[in-house]
Amino acid sequence: MTLLQVRGLKAGYGPLKVLEGIDLEVGEGEIVVMLGANGAGKTTTLRALSGVIPRTGTVEFAGADISKASPESIVRSGVAQVPQGRGTFPELSVDDNMHAGAYPRRDSSAAIKTDIGKWYDVFPRLADRRHQRAGSLSGGEQQMLAIARALMSRPTLLLCDEPSLGLAPLITQELFKVLERLNKEEGLAVLLVEQNANLAMHIASRVYLLETGRIVASGSAAELSADDSIRKAYLGF
Amino acid sequence: MSRKLHVTIRSGGPASWVIRLLTAAFVVLIVLWVPTRASDSLIDTATTALVWMAAAMSLNLLVGYAGQLSLGHSAFLGIGVYTTAIGVTRWGWSPLWTMPVGFAVAFVVGVLVSLPALRIKGVYLALVTLSLALVFPQFIKWPKIEWLTKGASGIDQVSYKFSKDNPTFELFGWNPWGNLRGQNVKPFYYWMAVLVVVFVYLVCRGVVKSRMGRSLVAIRDNSTAAAVMGVNLAVTKGVVFGLSAAMCALPGSLLAMKTGTVTPDTAMLTVSGSIVMLVIMVVGGAGSLWGPILGAAAYELIAEKTGEWNEADQIPGFLQPVLGWSEMPPSTGIFAVVLIALMFFAPYGIVGLWRKQIARVVTVVPRPAGTANLPAEGSAPAGS
Amino acid sequence: MELFLQRLVDGLSEGSIYALIALGLVIIFRGTGHLNFAQGEMALFCAYCVYQFGEWGIPMIPALLMGMVIGFFIGALTEVALVRPVSKRSPFAVFIVTIGVFQFLNWLDSAIWGGQQLPSSAIGSKQRTYPSLFPNDPDDFVTVFGAAIKISSLCIFCMVLVITALLFVVFNYTKLGLAMRAVASNADSAKLVGIKVSQVLMVSWGIAAAIGALGGVAFAGIITTVNTGLMFTVFLYGSAAATLGGFDSPGGAVIGGLTIGVVQNMVAGYADEWVGTSMKVAVSFLVILVVLLVRPSGLFGTAKVERV
Ligand SMILES: Nc1ncnc2c1ncn2[C@@H]1O[C@H](COP(=O)(O)OP(=O)(O)OP(=O)(O)O)[C@@H](O)[C@H]1O
Ligand SMILES: [Mg+2]
Repeated sequence: MTLLQVRGLKAGYGPLKVLEGIDLEVGEGEIVVMLGANGAGKTTTLRALSGVIPRTGTVEFAGADISKASPESIVRSGVAQVPQGRGTFPELSVDDNMHAGAYPRRDSSAAIKTDIGKWYDVFPRLADRRHQRAGSLSGGEQQMLAIARALMSRPTLLLCDEPSLGLAPLITQELFKVLERLNKEEGLAVLLVEQNANLAMHIASRVYLLETGRIVASGSAAELSADDSIRKAYLGF
Repeated sequence: MSRKLHVTIRSGGPASWVIRLLTAAFVVLIVLWVPTRASDSLIDTATTALVWMAAAMSLNLLVGYAGQLSLGHSAFLGIGVYTTAIGVTRWGWSPLWTMPVGFAVAFVVGVLVSLPALRIKGVYLALVTLSLALVFPQFIKWPKIEWLTKGASGIDQVSYKFSKDNPTFELFGWNPWGNLRGQNVKPFYYWMAVLVVVFVYLVCRGVVKSRMGRSLVAIRDNSTAAAVMGVNLAVTKGVVFGLSAAMCALPGSLLAMKTGTVTPDTAMLTVSGSIVMLVIMVVGGAGSLWGPILGAAAYELIAEKTGEWNEADQIPGFLQPVLGWSEMPPSTGIFAVVLIALMFFAPYGIVGLWRKQIARVVTVVPRPAGTANLPAEGSAPAGS
Repeated sequence: MELFLQRLVDGLSEGSIYALIALGLVIIFRGTGHLNFAQGEMALFCAYCVYQFGEWGIPMIPALLMGMVIGFFIGALTEVALVRPVSKRSPFAVFIVTIGVFQFLNWLDSAIWGGQQLPSSAIGSKQRTYPSLFPNDPDDFVTVFGAAIKISSLCIFCMVLVITALLFVVFNYTKLGLAMRAVASNADSAKLVGIKVSQVLMVSWGIAAAIGALGGVAFAGIITTVNTGLMFTVFLYGSAAATLGGFDSPGGAVIGGLTIGVVQNMVAGYADEWVGTSMKVAVSFLVILVVLLVRPSGLFGTAKVERV
C-alpha cells in the first residue's frame, strides 16, 4: 500500500526553479532513502512535501490530496519533518520543545505527557536535560531532540533531513538503530535524506537518486549497489 | 524568449556613455532652469529639497551602505545649524566659513558616536542614535549653556547681509544668480545648496567606489566576516560615522543662513527631522547614490502639492469625498498613505523600481575583459 | 524620606505606562523582529476612542475594554494587511511602513477629533476631564510613612504588575504562549511542527496594540486630557525601556520601564538644580548607554536579536 505518492513535484525559491518534476513513492511502514549531491534539491523536496514552500504537482498522502494543503494541516494529517541542521527552538527548554512538537494534537495533556515520557525513554540523554535550554545541548542531543519533537505529533511518515549531520559515527549508528526500531515496532514510514550512503543503504528498503532536481535512478538498495556506475558516481564505495 | 523590445548595452560602451551624457545634461538643465525661470516659491522649494538631499545622502552613506541604522542625524544637522548661528552672531564669522567648522565639529561628534556603535548593534543602536536626536534640542535649551545657545528663544540675524550692489551675471541672457540685486537672495542660497549637494555627492561617490566602500558593504552584510577579511572595524566605522555626521552638518549650516533664525524646537532638528531623512532615503532607494536625490525631490513635491490643500475647496474634485470631510488639512494623511503604498510597490525605493522596470527592456552587461565577441543574443532579463 | 517615597511611587506609575508600551514593542519584536514605530499612535487612537465612548455615556470599564478590542484589531490588521506583505520584500521597508501608520493614525486623530486638548468645553464635551481608570481627584491620597501618595499612581503600578503576571502565565503555561515563544525562537521550525505562524504573528500584534491601548488610556487618565502629541514621548520612553530591558524580554521591558520612570523622577527631584527639566532626558539615556556598553542586548535580552 503506498502511503505517500508524489507526481511531477516542482518547487523553487522565487524565480529559481530547483525541482523539475519529481516522482516518488513511500509505502506504508517503509524506509526510503534519498541520496544526492549537495544542492541537488533534497531539502527542497522535503520542504515542498511539508508545504512550507510553494509547489506544484500532485502529492497524495494516505489517499488524500495534500498538494495544496497548509503546513499545519499536513503535520496534522501525519507527516512530520526533522529539518536539516536540527532546527530546534534554542531558547525553549527541552520539555517545551517536546510540547511544541505536540502542538497540532488535540488530545489530553496527560496523553501528551505520556508520549514525552515514552520518547525520553528512547532518548535518555534528553530526559536528563529536560529543563535545559535546547540551544545549550550538544549537536547530537539536539538532533535527537529534533527527531523526538517530530515524533511528538504522532506521524505516520517521518521526513528526516540528514540526521547524521555533524554527529560522531557512533551516535549516527545509534540514531539509525532507533529509526529502524521505530520502523519495525511502530510501523513508522521514513523518508530519509542522507549523505552517509553506506549507512543509509543498510536500513533502506528502497533508494532514490536525485540530481539537480530530477530523480535519475531508483530501486532497491541491493539493485542500486549492484550497478557499478551508480555505485561509483553516487554511493562512493 | 519573448519578442518584447529588448536592448543589450555594454557598460563603458558608446551607448552607455550617450545615456550618461544625456542624464547629466538633463540634470544640469533642471538645475539651471530653477533659479532663472521658476517662481520664487519654487526656488524656495528646490532649496529645501536640496537641503534634504544632502542630509539624506549623508545618512545613506551610514545606513544604506554601512548598514548602521541612525535616527540621530537631526542632531548632526543641528550641529551645523548652531555652529553657523553661533559663529555668525557671536564671533562675527562669515557664514560661509562656519561651514568647515560645523563640518569638523560634527565629524568629531560622529566619531564619538561610532565608539558605542562598535559594540551596540541593530535596534539597540537605533535607540542610542535616537537618544542623540532627543537630547540635542534639550541640550541646546540647557540653562548651563544658555549663554552660548540662547536657549529656547533661539538665535536670529544669522543670514548673509546683502548689499544692493552685489554683482549680477548673465549667461546667454539667463541670470543664474537670479535677481540678486533686487534683494531677492533666494537663488544665492539655491546655488549654495547645489554646491553642498554636489560636494556631498562626490564624497559619497568617492567613498562608495573606493576600497573603503567595499569594506562598508562587507560590514553591512556580515560584520564578523568583514573583520575576518581584514577590515578594521573600528577605523572604518569611525570614519564613516564621522563623515556621515560631518556632511549632514553642511545642509544644517545652509539652513541656518537661509532661514536666518534658529530655534531648538524647529521640527527639522528634532526626531521628526531624522525620520524625514530616513523616509527620503528609503523612498528614493537606500544604498544607491541617486536614491536620496530622487527621494528628496519626490518628498518635497508631495509635501508642496498636498500642503496647498489646506482649505477644503482646494482639494481636487475627485478627492473631495475622501478628504473633504475633515477640518484638518489632509497633507499628513496623504503623505502617510503614499509612503505606505510606495513600500508596497517599490520596497527598494524609486531607484529599485526604476532598475526593475529598466531591466525588462535593457540588459547591461559588464565590460568584457579582453574578448571582442559580444555576448550571445537573448541573455534573459531577470524576472520575465 | 517622605519625598523619596512620593517620588518613587510617582516614578513607578510613570514607568508603568512606559512598561506597557515597551511590553507591546517587545511582543512584536519577538514575533517578527520589527520595531513598531506606530505603537504609541495605536494606543493614542484607542485613547481617543475611549474619550468618544465616554461622550456617548458609556461607563469607563466597558469603554476601556472596547478601546482595547479596537487596539487589537488595529494591531492585527496592520500586521496582516501592511507589515506581512512588505516584510517579504524588504525588512527595512517595514520600519518605514510603521512610520507611515504612525503618521496616518496621528493625522486621523486630528482629522476626527481636531487638534485641541480633549475634553474641551469649547467644543462642548460632556466630560469634565478624561475618564480616569482610578480615583484621581486632588484629595485621593493615602499616607504611607508620612508620604502623601496618589491612589491612582499606586493603582496603575499594581495594574501593570497584574498585567505582567497575566502575560507571564499566558507565555509560559498556554498553548498560545508556547506557539508565540516557538515562533520567536525559530519561525521555520514552528511551521514544521504545525504552528500557524501567520496567525500567531497576527495575534501578537493584536495583543501588543491592546496592551498599548491600556497604557494610552491610563496615561491620558493621569494627564486628564488627550491630545495628538500625547503618546510620542511616551513611545520614545517605551522604546528606551525595551532597549534597557532587552528587546526580546517581556520581563525586561517592565523592569526597564519602571527603572526609567523612577530615574526620571529622582533626577527631576534631586538634581533639578544642576540638570534642569530639559536635560533629565539625557540622564535616562546616559543610563541606557552605559547599560548597553556593558550588555549590548540590554539587561535581559539575548544576544541573538539585532535585526531591525
Ligand atoms: N532559501 C533559499 N533561497 C534560494 N535558494 C535556495 C534556498 N534554499 C536552497 N536554495 C537553492 O536550492 C538548491 C537546492 O538546495 P537544497 O537545500 O534543496 O539542496 P540539498 O540537496 O538539500 O543539498 P545539501 O546536501 O547541501 O543539503 C541549491 O542550489 C540552493 O542554492
Ligand atoms: Mg539539504
